[in-house]
Amino acid sequence: MRNLKKYLLLSAISLAIVSCSSDDATPVANNVTLSFKNTFGDTEIVLGGATSSAATVNTSDAGQVHHFSELKYVISNIRLVKADGTEVPYNINDLDKGATVINHANPSTLNYVMSNIPSGEYKQIKFGLGVRSDLNTLNQVSFPNFYATAGANDTQMMWEWGTGYRFTKIEGFYGTDNKEMSIHTGSTVEGSEGSYTQGVDAYRNITLDLPVNAVVGNQSPKIKIKADFNKLLSGTTNTITLSTGTGMGDNATPNIHTAVQMVKFVDNLGGNGTNDLKGMFSVSTVEN
Amino acid sequence: MKVFLKISSLLFLSMSCSNDNYEPVSYDNPELSLNIPVGFPELNNSFYTNKPTKYGVELGEKLFNEKRFSADNTISCASCHKQSSAFADNNIQAIGIEGRIGLRNTPPVQNLAFMKFYNWDGSKLSLENQPIVPIITHEEMDSSILEVIGKIQNDTSYKTLFQKTFGDENITPERIYKSIAQYEYTLISANSKYDKVMRNEGATFTESETQGYLVFQQKCSGCHSTELFTDQSFRNIGFPINPNSNEAGRARVTGNMQEYMSFRVPSLRNVEYTAPYGSFGQFATLKDVLDYFDNGVLDADNLDPVFKNNDKRIPLTEQEKGYLISFMKTLSDGSFTNH
Repeated sequence: MRNLKKYLLLSAISLAIVSCSSDDATPVANNVTLSFKNTFGDTEIVLGGATSSAATVNTSDAGQVHHFSELKYVISNIRLVKADGTEVPYNINDLDKGATVINHANPSTLNYVMSNIPSGEYKQIKFGLGVRSDLNTLNQVSFPNFYATAGANDTQMMWEWGTGYRFTKIEGFYGTDNKEMSIHTGSTVEGSEGSYTQGVDAYRNITLDLPVNAVVGNQSPKIKIKADFNKLLSGTTNTITLSTGTGMGDNATPNIHTAVQMVKFVDNLGGNGTNDLKGMFSVSTVEN
Repeated sequence: MKVFLKISSLLFLSMSCSNDNYEPVSYDNPELSLNIPVGFPELNNSFYTNKPTKYGVELGEKLFNEKRFSADNTISCASCHKQSSAFADNNIQAIGIEGRIGLRNTPPVQNLAFMKFYNWDGSKLSLENQPIVPIITHEEMDSSILEVIGKIQNDTSYKTLFQKTFGDENITPERIYKSIAQYEYTLISANSKYDKVMRNEGATFTESETQGYLVFQQKCSGCHSTELFTDQSFRNIGFPINPNSNEAGRARVTGNMQEYMSFRVPSLRNVEYTAPYGSFGQFATLKDVLDYFDNGVLDADNLDPVFKNNDKRIPLTEQEKGYLISFMKTLSDGSFTNH
């Protein structure tokens, strides 16, 4: 790398001398990597089965211990905001090129490389947790790759009856007796945005300021995003106590595959869309 | 002659690998005129943008019976939606490929053109949006629309029908969904004894049926109203609860706690042929349902006022139950169900 830089510098200088041109060698675009770290607080999550001793155990504000055996979510609609405020959308209308399933069990999914980001300084990132309702139609013809990724056996991020994708899928155990918890979120809306005729929109827009500007050009910066799943039960919007049963107030396994208890979890994970636009997400560092 | 031309043009295409000079044969695909029964509710709005056509309905019916919709080519829409059961079946819950058991009882596909909500929880508002659900659902066909298209796209009979319906041979998901919906729009049942009595076509109720109709008007028609015998509302009537964690009734869709374990009031047309009853087939017979109403239903915060305000029951004498069943059987439409 150092050699390459030297070489570039040398050629730039010689070019300048020979041609009297002042153009430098900054590329017009480069990659930006989003690196997701899934945590309970500051501790990176380790998944595990019911009686796993390796799994990271968290305690909620309501005092319930819990750990996860499976952890997945969909990121889409990514936009980088330049220092001057202009938004640079990244394939926001193309799920094949602009959306991804983060699967904690599969480390390669934790780094999402965005290519061809215009050179410049960026101060903010926006993205969606889930899929915008206009794209959330399981359109296999337009987006075969995302459809296949989301629908794969190890992913199971399709919500068939809602004709859409699951936005988050969390399986795990809670309480000292390791009762099962299974929390799926997804949209059930019908109609078009602004005039939904029925249902619940579980898509959430996230806005995060970067601690230092990400400089795209010669460098391809890495934005490290922390997803703190402590917020699942102990969120900005809701403090949730899990309970198991078939009543309408129960939320650990029954009902949470439906819209009934879902919104509380959605608001905790992705913000409530009004005064909380971060949910569980924050940017820890930017590596330029 | 047409078929011959068709085949020769296909041969030509496959031999020359060129379609530059291909011109679709002209086609004539008139709208079907449906016999809309007097007094039925308004048509669903989607009907007007996807009116049944001669070949659209023919194609839809063929697709409805197409077993290649399922991953292992064993079941079609018609496997669960059988004509003899008013396009429902008689299983407790729907059975998909490899004997997988679905969440709910198969709903009858009848008079859907006049409905505003589809499925027991009303999750779909137009028929065109429904077919993809069973195609991809693990417990039903467990396939995908591109897998389906891949299996049927080289089938000459489909090419011909897509050509006749849409003007070219392209098989797209939207065309599949629209054709199936067009076929379903034509499944209208309005030729029961009840209809013939009401239309003064010479049929008359027996004494028992007449008594049943009176009891029905007193104790049932508040919910089972209109000529569809459903007001299409969602109600929790205290039936035994499906323990499956994916079940919340209408609230599964809306998230509204007031609609927890509420289901769309079922139409009673052809009810004789759609046993068992309840959202997951809780009751084997109509008598069982009436006994349950009479004995009292489960309480719930959102139990429908009809029960909440009446000691959680609809009191019925044994004689009244018999009358009601007689009346409900007058809603059987032999010409629709081929009985």
